[in-house]
Amino acid sequence: MAAGKIILRDGFAGILLVLVIAGLCGCGSEERTRIVLWHQMVVDERVVLDELVAEFERLNPDVRVQTLYKENEELRSGFQAAALAGTGPELIYGPSDPMGAYMTMGIVGDLSPHFEDGFLDGFTPRSLTWLADEKKPDEKMLVQIGDRVGNHLALVYNRNLIENPPQTTDELIALAIENTVDADGDGKPEQYGLVWNFIEPFFAIPFLTGHGAWVFEAEGSTVPALDTPESVAAMEFIKSLQSEHNVVPAGCDYETADALFKSGSAAMIINGDWSWGGYLSLETPDVDAVIAPLPVVSSTGIPMGPMVASKGYSLNVNVAEESVEHDAAIRFVEFMTSEPVQREFMTRLKTLPSRASLLDDPAITNDPTLLASAQQMQNGRAMPVAAELRAVWDSMRPPYQELMGGGISADEAAEKMQSSAENGIRLMNQQLKPDASVWLLRLIAAFATAGLIFWQRKSFHAFIRDWDKNRFAYFLIGPALLVIAATIIYPFFYNVVLSFSNMSLRNFQDWQVTGFQNYGEVFAGADSKFYMILLKTLIWTAVCVVLHVSLGLLLAVTLNGPVKGKAIYRVLLILPWAIPAYITALTWRGMFNLDYGAVNLIATKWFGLPAVNWLGEEYNALAACIITNVWLGVPFMMVIALGGMQGIPQELYEAARIDRVSRWKQFRHITLPMLKPVLLPAVTLGTIWTFNNLNVVWLVSNAGEPADDTHILVSYVYKAVFNLYQYGYGAALSMVIFFMLLIFSLLFLRKTKATEGVT
Amino acid sequence: MSGKSPRKDGTPSRGPREAVWITGLRHLVLLFFVVLAVYPAINVFSISIRPGNKLQSTDLAIFPENWTFDSYVRLFTEEPFLTWMGNSLLVSLAVTVLGVGLAATGGYALSRFRFVGRNTSMLAILTTQMFPATMLLLPLYVVIARLHLINTFLGLLVFYTATALPFCLWQMKGFYDTIPVSMEEAARIDGCSRWKTFVTVTLPLAVPGLVITALFSFMTAWSEYIVAAQILQDEEMFTLPLGLKSFQASMSTEWGLYASAAILVSIPVVIVFMLLSRYLVSGLTVGGVKE
Repeated sequence: MAAGKIILRDGFAGILLVLVIAGLCGCGSEERTRIVLWHQMVVDERVVLDELVAEFERLNPDVRVQTLYKENEELRSGFQAAALAGTGPELIYGPSDPMGAYMTMGIVGDLSPHFEDGFLDGFTPRSLTWLADEKKPDEKMLVQIGDRVGNHLALVYNRNLIENPPQTTDELIALAIENTVDADGDGKPEQYGLVWNFIEPFFAIPFLTGHGAWVFEAEGSTVPALDTPESVAAMEFIKSLQSEHNVVPAGCDYETADALFKSGSAAMIINGDWSWGGYLSLETPDVDAVIAPLPVVSSTGIPMGPMVASKGYSLNVNVAEESVEHDAAIRFVEFMTSEPVQREFMTRLKTLPSRASLLDDPAITNDPTLLASAQQMQNGRAMPVAAELRAVWDSMRPPYQELMGGGISADEAAEKMQSSAENGIRLMNQQLKPDASVWLLRLIAAFATAGLIFWQRKSFHAFIRDWDKNRFAYFLIGPALLVIAATIIYPFFYNVVLSFSNMSLRNFQDWQVTGFQNYGEVFAGADSKFYMILLKTLIWTAVCVVLHVSLGLLLAVTLNGPVKGKAIYRVLLILPWAIPAYITALTWRGMFNLDYGAVNLIATKWFGLPAVNWLGEEYNALAACIITNVWLGVPFMMVIALGGMQGIPQELYEAARIDRVSRWKQFRHITLPMLKPVLLPAVTLGTIWTFNNLNVVWLVSNAGEPADDTHILVSYVYKAVFNLYQYGYGAALSMVIFFMLLIFSLLFLRKTKATEGVT
Repeated sequence: MSGKSPRKDGTPSRGPREAVWITGLRHLVLLFFVVLAVYPAINVFSISIRPGNKLQSTDLAIFPENWTFDSYVRLFTEEPFLTWMGNSLLVSLAVTVLGVGLAATGGYALSRFRFVGRNTSMLAILTTQMFPATMLLLPLYVVIARLHLINTFLGLLVFYTATALPFCLWQMKGFYDTIPVSMEEAARIDGCSRWKTFVTVTLPLAVPGLVITALFSFMTAWSEYIVAAQILQDEEMFTLPLGLKSFQASMSTEWGLYASAAILVSIPVVIVFMLLSRYLVSGLTVGGVKE
């Protein structure tokens, strides 16, 4: 009977275990060929994509296509990592602009040999991206097949306010002046004539092309040409809209421009084809949106032309030719770029097709939006696919923002853009060569290993001796240490090696150890902002942690007394911790908006304080980031402190009260010391986390606004690695961060004796 | 503001009644911070019911014109939101159990034993948190691929537990440090084994620590994104952060869906917190600590 029970119990446990493991593994066997597609189609596009994938699978019963959405930048960095590791999706879908970088890294394959003759003839030239390896300039490879062309800006106007779209910039200015309304005369218009995103230089391109300027010296060139008379004229024109004609708002990011137009508070907006659907389908009487091509610049007679990019499919270089996956991937690309599929996307999502035969289709010519889009595209210029374009965007962003913020003139902006673009491109294309310090490095590594072995040998003997005595302790701590070690050891040493290497855009797969150059660049680089950013990081960390701890303690002490409704207070107070930080950080960014943000509205209307330009000035922006992060982090410290207070014996307080010790002294001499063991880990780790908290700074300052000044060290690392592909440099900077935190922790723990514990 | 006379709060009192003004002050402070904590949260709610897919608004209204619960309906009808929620719950609960288990035992070793390598281990645990996550992306992918953990929840379980453990170990060690050794010694003299002493004497006294560790482990798994994006390749297996992220795209984020999902994502956290927080209330565990 008893044995039966045991078997029953163990059997049950066994089944449970199997179920759990099966659930965790997500096992499933499949006979069909599986190909994976990473794409960046947004929610509405995904509906169409899913239907078409189902159709493809019906026609090709031997293939299963797994689609996975990845946001643009995620897709790029994720694909680079996966391809480097020798795996990754068979196909990726996205805009053509990273193709140059993919080609240089050698992570995309050639599609051209695999199609039937004549298949490629039907495509417009702009939709096929041919690139050559620099070592073999004659052998061009087809790295992307576009299924659509677009991603271009045009003018969207509100027909309730404007009857006919402007044909020239003079008309544009006249219409904008007419529609900039300041009804209450407070100097702050309620309605603007024109809005667009002042943050991203992508939105300034039509002004450049309209004035005869271009980001590079010529088509196909990678030499920046940002400091030309034409580009200065373009920037002067942009500036005049703000300072002379006062028809655009003072500060305006993408979301503000979008909200202004959607609420009828802006007569015109410059925005891209991805946004038009939203404007056309607005269900509000205030807005009747119409798409029109951008006007001709009056002074030059050239139409404003946006950048036009194709979007399409590329093949992972790791897919072996002759493999079933390769065959299935090619079939899938053929299907997805075929005429019926493109027509489906075109009619349902208003995208412009990449097949020439579809351009005269009635679906386009009878649709005013598609027609305007097609016209606008005619004036557009192909977006360069060269990796250098990223460096150009990076160099344009800060001076462009400064120009719009009123900090510098058009001349200065152009000059700054040019010099920083040249510098960025130099850094990006830098190919470090091993120098003499490699030998020094090897020597140090050898000594360190020898030293470690010697030291470990001693510890190992001590460990053997200790084993009998403390077996129980090893048994308790062992599993935890194993789990941590399994996940961290390889990434850590990988980074140590990387920091001495030349891994970068041009040495992506064939990188080697080159010595200490990256560390030299960190501490003494030509335009190294290291020390400035370090200072900001220290301010950021210190202020955040002090406020986290002190406010958390204050709330815990307050809650830990006789208050009615404690449970409700507690739950409401942890809300900042409970809601995903991504959205709350962006909400805070909105609240800091100069004209429409809650912070300024409340300060000016209720308290009569002057409005603060939170996001537009260097230290204000840092303060805005700090406020957001304090808001996010206080609940955590409060919970820790509350937990810690439960262990403090009440007798201590009772005794203190009998002795008439003041509340402050009770807090100082009972609560704090008793909380110390519980708070110390939270403070130590809180400091480390705050020091390395990329998200809040990145989101609130929108990647470094204003003028790329709002950075802490980690966001700087992120920029170097993801925008300029400086992996080696990023790893070196990470090592510096690591050692600073290590030294801090050692000093802090020694000072507070945190490791010692009970005596 | 509650100006009523102070009362005992159902929990053992902190001695004599407080002066009215002190209780009033408590309410004042709490109300002030509640407003600060709740206002941005209400903003998120406001985005979730705002028509026309706008992140920002030009006024302060909480209920925008033509407000609609459309986004919530879409989440459940058009998006596999419940599947994501289920996945997240499975992973987060597993991480919580494993994390609390390993931290409760490991922290005890760190607090009570002076074994060889103890100080090194404690520091080494901390150092795992010092490296910027950005740079770990590349090698992480390699590790995950080599361990064949791509597209498995087991991969998430291992990495999340490893991420949560450093804090949990230190935190548990801190809590054990506040518990007097004398109580364990008494039990040992009565003939209890070390393990039994730990489980029956020490562990019950460390409940607030276990609660915090559980909450932290749960939140780590509940909100983690970077590792999940490397491991999970199948929309059916997405956890909530990945699901949320799928509404996000540069310049064409679905703000309505994103905000409504964010609101719904925080509800289980609030429930977990409410369930656990009674252990953070005065008096429940104090009795046992008396010496």
